[in-house]
Amino acid sequence: MSFRSNTNRWRSRLRPTDVVGTGTVGIRTRRLRAAFTAVGIAIGIASMVAVLGISSSSKADLLEALDELGTNLLQVKPGSDVFGDTATMSPDAPSMIRRIGPVESATSLSKISASVQRNDKVDSRFQNGIELYGSETNLGSTLGAQLAAGREHDNASLKLPTVVLGAVAAERLGITDVDEGTRVMIGGKWFAVIGIYEPLPLNPDIDRAALIGIPAARDLFDVDALPSSIYVRTDPSQVEAVRDVLARTASPGSPNEVQVSRPSDALAARAEVDQRLQTLLLALGGVALLVGGVGIANVMIISVLERRTEIGLRRALGATRAHIRNQFVMESSLLSLIGGLLGAGTGYAVTAVYATRQGWITSVPAEGLALGVAAALVIGAVAGLYPAFRAARLDPAEAIRPAA
Amino acid sequence: MATTIIDTGSAAAATSPAAAPVLELRDVVREYPGSPPVRAIDGVSLRVDEGELVAIVGPSGSGKSTLMNLIGTLDRPTAGSLLIDGSDTGKLSDRALSGLRAARIGFVFQQFHLLAGMSALENVTGGLLYRGVSRSARRRRAADALERVGLADRMDHTPNKLSGGERQRVAIARALVGDPAIVLADEPTGNLDTRTSNEIVELLHDLHRDGSTILVITHDMELAAQFPRRVAVRDGRLEHDTGTRSAEAAPTTSGERDRAFAPTIDAEEITA
Repeated sequence: MSFRSNTNRWRSRLRPTDVVGTGTVGIRTRRLRAAFTAVGIAIGIASMVAVLGISSSSKADLLEALDELGTNLLQVKPGSDVFGDTATMSPDAPSMIRRIGPVESATSLSKISASVQRNDKVDSRFQNGIELYGSETNLGSTLGAQLAAGREHDNASLKLPTVVLGAVAAERLGITDVDEGTRVMIGGKWFAVIGIYEPLPLNPDIDRAALIGIPAARDLFDVDALPSSIYVRTDPSQVEAVRDVLARTASPGSPNEVQVSRPSDALAARAEVDQRLQTLLLALGGVALLVGGVGIANVMIISVLERRTEIGLRRALGATRAHIRNQFVMESSLLSLIGGLLGAGTGYAVTAVYATRQGWITSVPAEGLALGVAAALVIGAVAGLYPAFRAARLDPAEAIRPAA
Repeated sequence: MATTIIDTGSAAAATSPAAAPVLELRDVVREYPGSPPVRAIDGVSLRVDEGELVAIVGPSGSGKSTLMNLIGTLDRPTAGSLLIDGSDTGKLSDRALSGLRAARIGFVFQQFHLLAGMSALENVTGGLLYRGVSRSARRRRAADALERVGLADRMDHTPNKLSGGERQRVAIARALVGDPAIVLADEPTGNLDTRTSNEIVELLHDLHRDGSTILVITHDMELAAQFPRRVAVRDGRLEHDTGTRSAEAAPTTSGERDRAFAPTIDAEEITA
């Protein structure tokens, strides 16, 4: 060999796979510590994934319920007249509404003031929160109500002292079945119970109602039985159009005395209300993640102090400062990635258990999982930066010297 | 590039007229700042040719550790120049120096500096890690190197299952595996008992015979006496140099030869 003028013949080169490989050295040789360090990140990611997953599962459940119940149900109620008194709707309102083209069906309820009691032994002043309504035969079909027992009103039963109970009303009266002769006392008169509805998520007022026929109400209680509420099922694509004309149709003379609402909006709002809680819980998960990141930074700083001779040795073997820096950034990223994967798995499991218990479908957004793992990776890399730069700055001659 | 040390030369090549300096120090000074500044190395000139086996000997505090760091390019001279395998290290960036170390310098340390939890084979592959050599080639060459130091049957053992002598053999294999221009051994027997020390010295002689250029740094005069060329260091200066290739010329009496150091000495020796 002879002297060569070219001074840059030799270059340090570390293959990309070996960049990863050197990053695993500290983890492989200090497994317990690596596990404890990763747990910090895992807790943060797990809580974030679980929060996202649980709220997403709950939302998915609500939306599924909404889908099933339909968002094409509208409710018309009398509002207040110009004097502030409760307005009334004309008895023709239901039939006029039915004449609107996209209306599939409409059913009216007429509130009647009378007590509903289990039998004649109960004091009629005893309030059990059960409301009495005059109803029509198409109540069940319009609201999509299912029967828990018995049957609905037909044209004959509407005129007879017969009653169909909402789920809560039946429970409060202690009625679970409709045998021959099951009776309740309404306004001092015996009524035969012919049916009980399942709970109606969109119409909790029906759950607490006792429903008799409008003709029977007029006959037996001598009331007008004006519509106090009209439920309107429309063509799903024409909900807004119908909504716009409902008030004028129900009360052509004074449309502003009529209130139109969509019961499903309340349910949809519930899905939105969860958003604020979700943000709060996510922030908490973020704090846990941050603490995990600080933990990783701590462990990495200690690790760099402990591994001075390894760093010196690597420099002697030809590692550049960049190689040393990359090794430690890689190690802390990998640590955090392990934590992130562990956390994503745990978060998913927590969601699955919780959702199953609630009877929901498990729904963890894939982007949530990916985001969690990515966040862990970024936090790990950032946490490793300072220790890695310290490691790279070590003077090789100092580092390789045995600690005195 | 040659894949084994044997290819780079032999004892015969070492004495041939083509022998070139693998290491050259010209008036190297290393001063540590302070008041007053400390001159750990105070104007050292030294030339080591390919195939030499040299001991740098000096008591503790003589500056030999600093000299070792300078020669190993882990430290830079304050003044003077240091050439390794033809490259003037003063002109090289930190990155380029790392590359030079990766390719041309093999280190052997008193404390072995093996990575715990890794097999002997994995530790030896570390000598090729920063050369961009593929994993399979690293393992193959590491196995060869371990075989050369007599540890073919210990490849899968982790350092804590190896004796001190075996650990140092692993470290020597790691230094050799990259086929360096020069092997720097810092007190290679410092942590070993006498019998094991002798085995390591024997191994260094074997490697020397196969053509490796080896520089041993030690405080131990007895150990140094077993090497063909000895350079004594005291107070940061070269005190004594038995001269290039004295071993080949007169193996038993080389110690008595005391010559002033001069880079031009080779011409005379090469004709011998």
